[in-house]
Amino acid sequence: MSAQDETLSVAGRFINELEETAIAIILGAMTIITFINVVLRYGFNTGLIWGLEATSILFAWLVLFGISYAVKKTAHLGVDAVINVVPPSARRALGIIAALVCVIYAFLLLKGAWDYWANFANLPQTTGRWFPTGLEEMKRTSFRSWYEVVDIPMPEWLRWIEPLMNEGEEYEKIPRFIPYFILPLGMLLLLVRFVQATTRLIRGQQDSLIVSHEAEDAVEDVAHLNRED
Amino acid sequence: MEVAILFGMVIGLMLIGVPIAVSLGFSSILFLLVLSDTSLASVAQSLFQAMAGHYTLLAIPFFILASSFMSTGGVARRIIRFSIALVGHLHGGLAIAGVFACMLFAALSGSSPATVVAIGSIVIAGMREVGYTKDFAAGVIANAGTLGILIPPSIVMVVYASATDVSVGRMFLAGVIPGLMAGTMLMVTIYTIARIKNMPKGEWKGWGEVMSAGRDAGWGLFLIIIILGGIYGGIFTPTEAAAVAAVYAFFIANFVYRDMGPLARGGEAQNLSILRKPIALVTAFFHKDTKDTLFEAGKLTITLMFIIANALILKHVLTDEQVPQTVAAAMLDAGFGAVMFLVIVNVILLIGGQFMEPSGLIVIVAPLVFPIAIELGIDPIHLGIIMVVNMEIGMITPPVGLNLFVTSGVAGMSMMRVAKASLPFLAVLFVFLIMVTYIPILSTWLPTTFMGPEIITK
Repeated sequence: MSAQDETLSVAGRFINELEETAIAIILGAMTIITFINVVLRYGFNTGLIWGLEATSILFAWLVLFGISYAVKKTAHLGVDAVINVVPPSARRALGIIAALVCVIYAFLLLKGAWDYWANFANLPQTTGRWFPTGLEEMKRTSFRSWYEVVDIPMPEWLRWIEPLMNEGEEYEKIPRFIPYFILPLGMLLLLVRFVQATTRLIRGQQDSLIVSHEAEDAVEDVAHLNRED
Repeated sequence: MEVAILFGMVIGLMLIGVPIAVSLGFSSILFLLVLSDTSLASVAQSLFQAMAGHYTLLAIPFFILASSFMSTGGVARRIIRFSIALVGHLHGGLAIAGVFACMLFAALSGSSPATVVAIGSIVIAGMREVGYTKDFAAGVIANAGTLGILIPPSIVMVVYASATDVSVGRMFLAGVIPGLMAGTMLMVTIYTIARIKNMPKGEWKGWGEVMSAGRDAGWGLFLIIIILGGIYGGIFTPTEAAAVAAVYAFFIANFVYRDMGPLARGGEAQNLSILRKPIALVTAFFHKDTKDTLFEAGKLTITLMFIIANALILKHVLTDEQVPQTVAAAMLDAGFGAVMFLVIVNVILLIGGQFMEPSGLIVIVAPLVFPIAIELGIDPIHLGIIMVVNMEIGMITPPVGLNLFVTSGVAGMSMMRVAKASLPFLAVLFVFLIMVTYIPILSTWLPTTFMGPEIITK
């Protein structure tokens, strides 16, 4: 989608860069933490006790943050056998239907993600089974900001959240609303990106949501080697 | 009945162009909301836990990263040179070298399309130069590329192991003999065709070239030793092995091959020595090439894991509805024996493998067939290898096999032409599938010898 990149505004390019850097840094951090833990175990008979939990959480962050980026870049995998053989008008119609399905999917997950995260941050869940119909009344059990993760210790520079979230009591490990925050954030971004993709499809600036295999970019890079005849 | 609707919906959505992950997730969410009392919040939680709660799956990003560093770092070129030095002088030598190179690259990467792109782009061009037809070249590479998921490490095997709770190490070991066998069968076929048609052969450049090409490629190939040796020596878990492999690949690509990072110089120029620019030891970590490789690997991880995470939600629906048990009971009542059952598994996977990303398919099909297989006394490791081989064949079966797509892109040919070109070799792989399916010892001997007999818990 390099053609799309060139037309981007400064802000657009900045966000691109930001998303790509975040993806690279998260994956790099996961690798280094795991590697260091192996070295510490064999070289020094010790280890970072929080290493595994941190890596697992970063893994979830990587994917949940990255799926919206993959929507923007049309990188999600799909089956294009049918949409490639139907006439363009039908292709466009199918594309728009598919996009609406994606929007509903992201919306449902955003509600789910909020409901899951909210109580951990002392915020009300939404009521309603399919669609948010209102906010719950906060009960005593709805205040769950004191839940902590298992291993990752609370860093000193985050202590300022204690009076805000935990009535001034000290956290020993980081509170759960921090790792889980990626859920509502990631799903919100996913919804936004799917809505944007839908408008592009309706305006005819894009003709599908999917690529047929993971190596499509790489194939394009090498296709010139064998193109003639 | 409900389940038939569920699967119908998943397939229907996929066909109209909904991303695979969303097709799986959307259908499952609807079913959970309608048929059970599961809340959306718990769906969101399982999406988070798909990554955070599966230690085995954590190996996937690391394997992808290792293979990205290796491909960017020019290891494919070196492997091909080594293969040509070794077998290029035979009749049909370049084609045989292509298969051999695919086998070696498969041992560094866990994905078939990646293998086709890395090896195919160079080998197909090379084969045409010395007089092979483009069709022959494309047919060879499309088939040999499928070895990517059979020869360890393999992302598909990691997913199978995670879905059925068998050991990743065993799966990897189990893939070694079948992988070597499939490669050998392909090479023998090519040699036979080449003798009959009198295809071009290269010249023997002597052991000197073999040694020097081998030494050059050896840095990359040592990765295999790290991964397999590390796991079986009990030094690290598969996940750690993958992370170590990624770090190793980073160092090799930046400081030994120097085709990327601060020491690389474009074009034909000799890459810089580390002694000339020691600061590179620091800057390599922040170099643009490093960031790009991390990012590309991250992007691939994201798209694969999104599918797997949603497939896990679907799996959750199936287990909730007791589908595996129902299917198992129905099949056992109908009096299906192990042979018939394996045929059915073959057919399902051959069809499914046409449309779907292999790892997503495994997450869905494995829990369905696994309990039946155990009931029928089929070894779980053996079942896993059968599934992987089926997936391979699904990738090159017309009309829509994934590897056909990739090869047609790489070779600049139409899908149908590639499909036709790969038919003779597809027949070979089919024979191979039958052998793997009905001779369990091919897959189970190595893991049993090295790791003791499998303990099956029902």
